[in-house]
Amino acid sequence: MKGFCNPMEPKVRIGGLLGCLLMSVCFLHGGGALEAAESGNAVASTEKMVPRNHEEVVAQINQHLQRGYQNRGLEPTNSCDDRAFVRRVYLDLVGRIPKVAELEKCLKDGIETSQQRGRLIEQLLQSEEHVIHWADLFDTLLMGRAAEAKYAKRRQHQWRAFLENSIRTNQPWNQFIEEILLARPADETKQGGNWFLFERNNDHQQIAEAIAPAVFGIRIECAQCHDHMLVDEIKQSHYWGLVAFFNRGKNEDGKAGPQVMESAVGGFSEFADLLGDSTPNRLAFLEVDTVEEKRPGKDEKQSDEDELYRPGRTDNVPRVPVFSRREKFVTKVVRDHPRVARALVNRVWALLMGRGIVHPYDEMDSIHDPSHPELLDWLSQDFRDSGYSVRRLIRAIVSSDAYRLASRRPEHVDDPATFAYYLERSLTGEQLARSIAIALFGDLGDDEVVNSVFRQQFPDLLPDEQVANVKESLFLSNGPKLQDLLMASKQPTHLIPRLAGMDTDQERVDLLFQVMFARVPDAEENAVVKAYLSKRGGTAESIRQVAWSMLTSAEFRYNH
Amino acid sequence: MKKYQQSPSRDSHHSRNAMQHSCGSAEHTVHRRLFLQGTMAAGAASTGSFSGLFSVPALADVAKKSGKKCILLWLCGAPSQFETWDPKPGTETGGPFPAIPTNLSGVKVSSLMPQCATIMDKLAVVRSMKTEPGEHFQGIDVLTRGDKPRPPFTRPILGSVIAQQLGQLDSPVPQFVLLDPCPEGNEFKQFKAGNWAGWLGAEYGPIRAGGNYAIPNINRLSEISEVDHADREALRQFLSRKFENDQRSEAAASHNAAFNRVNGLMSCAPLFDLNQLPEKDRQRYGGGAFAQHALQARHLIENGSTFVMVANGMPWDNHVFQHEMHQMLVPELDNVLFQLINDLEDRGMLQDTLVIAMGEFGRTPWLNDARGRDHYPKAWSMAMAGGGIKGGVVHGATDPLGFEVVDGQVDNRNLFATIFEALGIDPHQEYELPGLPTFHRVENDTQPIREILV
Repeated sequence: MKGFCNPMEPKVRIGGLLGCLLMSVCFLHGGGALEAAESGNAVASTEKMVPRNHEEVVAQINQHLQRGYQNRGLEPTNSCDDRAFVRRVYLDLVGRIPKVAELEKCLKDGIETSQQRGRLIEQLLQSEEHVIHWADLFDTLLMGRAAEAKYAKRRQHQWRAFLENSIRTNQPWNQFIEEILLARPADETKQGGNWFLFERNNDHQQIAEAIAPAVFGIRIECAQCHDHMLVDEIKQSHYWGLVAFFNRGKNEDGKAGPQVMESAVGGFSEFADLLGDSTPNRLAFLEVDTVEEKRPGKDEKQSDEDELYRPGRTDNVPRVPVFSRREKFVTKVVRDHPRVARALVNRVWALLMGRGIVHPYDEMDSIHDPSHPELLDWLSQDFRDSGYSVRRLIRAIVSSDAYRLASRRPEHVDDPATFAYYLERSLTGEQLARSIAIALFGDLGDDEVVNSVFRQQFPDLLPDEQVANVKESLFLSNGPKLQDLLMASKQPTHLIPRLAGMDTDQERVDLLFQVMFARVPDAEENAVVKAYLSKRGGTAESIRQVAWSMLTSAEFRYNH
Repeated sequence: MKKYQQSPSRDSHHSRNAMQHSCGSAEHTVHRRLFLQGTMAAGAASTGSFSGLFSVPALADVAKKSGKKCILLWLCGAPSQFETWDPKPGTETGGPFPAIPTNLSGVKVSSLMPQCATIMDKLAVVRSMKTEPGEHFQGIDVLTRGDKPRPPFTRPILGSVIAQQLGQLDSPVPQFVLLDPCPEGNEFKQFKAGNWAGWLGAEYGPIRAGGNYAIPNINRLSEISEVDHADREALRQFLSRKFENDQRSEAAASHNAAFNRVNGLMSCAPLFDLNQLPEKDRQRYGGGAFAQHALQARHLIENGSTFVMVANGMPWDNHVFQHEMHQMLVPELDNVLFQLINDLEDRGMLQDTLVIAMGEFGRTPWLNDARGRDHYPKAWSMAMAGGGIKGGVVHGATDPLGFEVVDGQVDNRNLFATIFEALGIDPHQEYELPGLPTFHRVENDTQPIREILV
C-alpha cells in the first residue's frame, strides 16, 4: 500500500495551521460550542435491565413531563383535535400530510383511544414511506445538506440504500454507528456504510467534526485551536485525538466500490495551542482513557511492513492493520459510551417534539443543561436496555401525552423547554415537497425530482429558532417550481381538475380545506374563499390561485 | 439639498401612488373587503406599476423626507487596533507597519490607512473600548445587540432597533438590509442563522442580499398577471394571518412577515442590481466583494433604506499570519471608508448618515506562535463618522504597548448609547412589549461618549 509515509514530519501540524488560515480566509466551517455531560450520567450504570414494555415507557415520559409542569407551576394545554393529530403523526412518521381518504379512514375507524392511535402509529411505522422519510432525516443529520451531485453519489454508492435498510430493519443504533465508523463492510449489502467516511474525502478534520455531533451529540470545532473556552470538558487534545483515530484512513475507489483503507503506520503529529506549545496527538477522546499506542522516537522512521497487517487480504478486501486505530475507536471509545444513547435519544426527541431535551440538540455539553434531566437519563438508559431500538423510542414519544398537546401556545407559557404545548416547526424541504404532491396529485409522483428542488431551497432541519426568510417567500411567490406543480395538476384524478369539475363553490371550498389543512373551514374562511372563487367563476385558474394561497400559508408550511 | 438619486428621474406621481398599494400593510380585513367586493381587479389599475415600472428615483422621494440613517461596516472576526486606529510602532509587538501622520495634528494611524489619514477631521475614533466576551459568537452577539443575552429573551440587533425607530414601515424599500456576499464565516455563520430581530418581531429583521448581487425570484413570473399575483397574495394573507392569530404562533408571524416583504422587494429590485451603478463608482470602491457592497449600501441609503449592514463572512480573524492578512484587508477598508464618507458628504448626506466601522473585539498586543494575533476584548478601537458624530476627535487611549485602556474607558453599552444618541433615539427608553420583562434600549442608564457627539 502506498501513500502512507513518514509519521514524524511536521506536516500535520503545519497542515493544521494552514487549516486555520484557510478557515479565516474562506470561512469554510460552521463554528459552535461543544460538548460535555454531567459526569454522573456519563458513568451511567451498565447493568442490564429487562426492557420495559411500551406502555411503561410512555408512562415514564408522561410522569417526567408532568413533574416538570408541577415544578414550573404551570398547566399544559389541552390535547389537539383528532384531525390535527392525524396530520401531525403522518408528517412526523411518513413525512407528508395525510391523503383525504387516509384521514377519513382514521376518523371513521376512530382515533380517540390510545389503542386506536397505537394502530395508526404502528401502521405508519411499518410503512416504506417511514423508511424513506427517516432516511431523509438521518441523511441530513449525519451527512448534511449537499449539492444535488452529492446526493446522486450517495445513492450511487449505496449509502442511501444502506441507511434505508438500517431503518427498515430497525437495526440497533449502536451497530449502525459502529458499521459506519469502522467502514469494513461484512458483505456487499453493507458496502454503502463506507460512504459516511468516504464522502469526507480524506479530510480527517471534517470526519472528526462530523462524528462528534452524529455520535456524541457535541460540537468540537471550537477546540481545533485551543481548549474550548466555555465548555471545560472539551479539550484541544480531544479534537486532535479524534482526528488521529481516523487519520490513517485513505480513500480508494477499488473493484468492490469505495473503500476506506487504513495504514498501520503514520498519523503522528503534534498540535500547537495558541501560545505555541506543542502536544502529541494521542488517541484520546472525552472521558475515555487514552488508547495506548507505541509512538516512534523523534528521528525514528516507521516502515510499512507486511507483518503490521492481518493476513487474509483478497483483491476486494483491503488489508487491516494489526493495530487499527479506527477499530480501537469503535471498541474502546464508542462501544457502550453513554453519550451515544443520550445523543440519539435527544435527537429523536427533538425531531418529534420540535426541540431537544438539551437544546440545541447537538450541543449536549456542560453549558447546555437538559430541561428534563431525569427524563433524559431514564430514556437513555431504557434505550440502551432495549438494545438501542430507535423505532421503539419513536413509538413511545409519539404515544406520549405531550406529543398530543395542542400547538396553540397557552397565554401564560413562554418557555418552549416546558413542552407544555406542541412546538410547531417548519416542514423540511422533503416534507413540504411531498405534502404539496399529495395535495395536488393525490400521490407522490416523481418524488426525487420534486424533493431535489425543495431540499435545496428549504435546507433547514431542527434550526435553533424558527425564523422564516424572504428568500423562501420569493421562491414560493415567483419561483417557477410551485407554478409548474400547480399546472401539472391536470389529470382527471388530480386536485385541480376534480375541483373544476364540481358543481358548486361550496363543494370546492370543502374539498380544498380537507386536502390542504385536514379540517373544515370556519364560517369566515368559508365565506371568503367561496367569494373569491365565485367572483372568478370557479375557473381552473382561480382554483389554482386558491390552492397557491393555501399551500403557501403558514398552516401548510408548519407541522403544528 | 442635493438630489439623492443616480439615474434619470421619471414620473414620480404615478409611482408614489403605486407604492401605497404595494407596501403590504396587509390588514386582512381590507383584503377581505377587496376581494369580496371584487375590487381587486379595479385597484390593479393603480397597482399596475408596482413590479415592473417602479423606478429607483421614485423611491427617493421617501428617502428625502426621512431623517437619520446608518451604515455599519461589520468587520467580522475582529480587526487589529494596532494595524488600524491605534498603532504602536517600534514596540516589541507593534508589528512591521509604521504609523503615519494624519490631517489631525498629533494623531497617527497605521500606514495601512493612508486615505483615512487625510479625512481624520471627519472621523471619530474610539481607542478605549473594553468589552467582556472574548469568543466570536458571544462577541458578535454583544457588539451587534448592545448587551449580553438573557434567555429566553432575544434583544434585537442594532439594525432592527434603528429600522423600527427611524424606518418607514410603509416603504417598499427594505429598511434593514444585510449585504453579506459570503454566507459562511464560522461563528458568524452560526450567528446569522439565529434570530436577529428578537423581541421586535420578524418584520424588523434584515433583508439579506449580496454574493452574486441579486435576489433570486424577485421578478413575477410572466404567466401570472399582476392582478392575480396580488389577489392570491391577499387571500394567502387572510388565511395565514388568521392561523397566526388563532395559534398565537410566532413561527407563523415570521412566515407572514417574510411574505409581507415580497411585494416591496419586487418593486425595488433595481436597487439590488449593482450593474445599475456607474462603472466609475464601482472602480473607485475597488473590486472586492466588501467594497462593492459598501457602494451598494450607499446606494440603498440614498434610495430609502434606513440601516445597511455590510459584512463579508469572517475575514478578520487572523490567528495566523496576521500581518500578511491585514496587509490585504486594511487597505481595502481604508479605501472603502474614504470613498463612502466622501460620497456621502458630496451628496449632502453625511450629516444625516452615521457610518460605523467595527468588529466584535480587538487583537492581542502579542503575537502567537503562528504570527497571528488572538482575541483581545480588553483594549480595542473602532471608528465612526457622519450623522450626529463630531469629526476630528480621538476618544480614549491605551498604554504604550496597548495592553490596557488608560484613558476614557468605554464598553458596548457606552457605544450603543452613543449610536442611539447620535441618531436621535432615546438610549434609555424602556421596551414596552407584552410579556416582556423590563428591558431598556441601553441598560443601566449608561451614558454615551459625549466628546464625540455633535
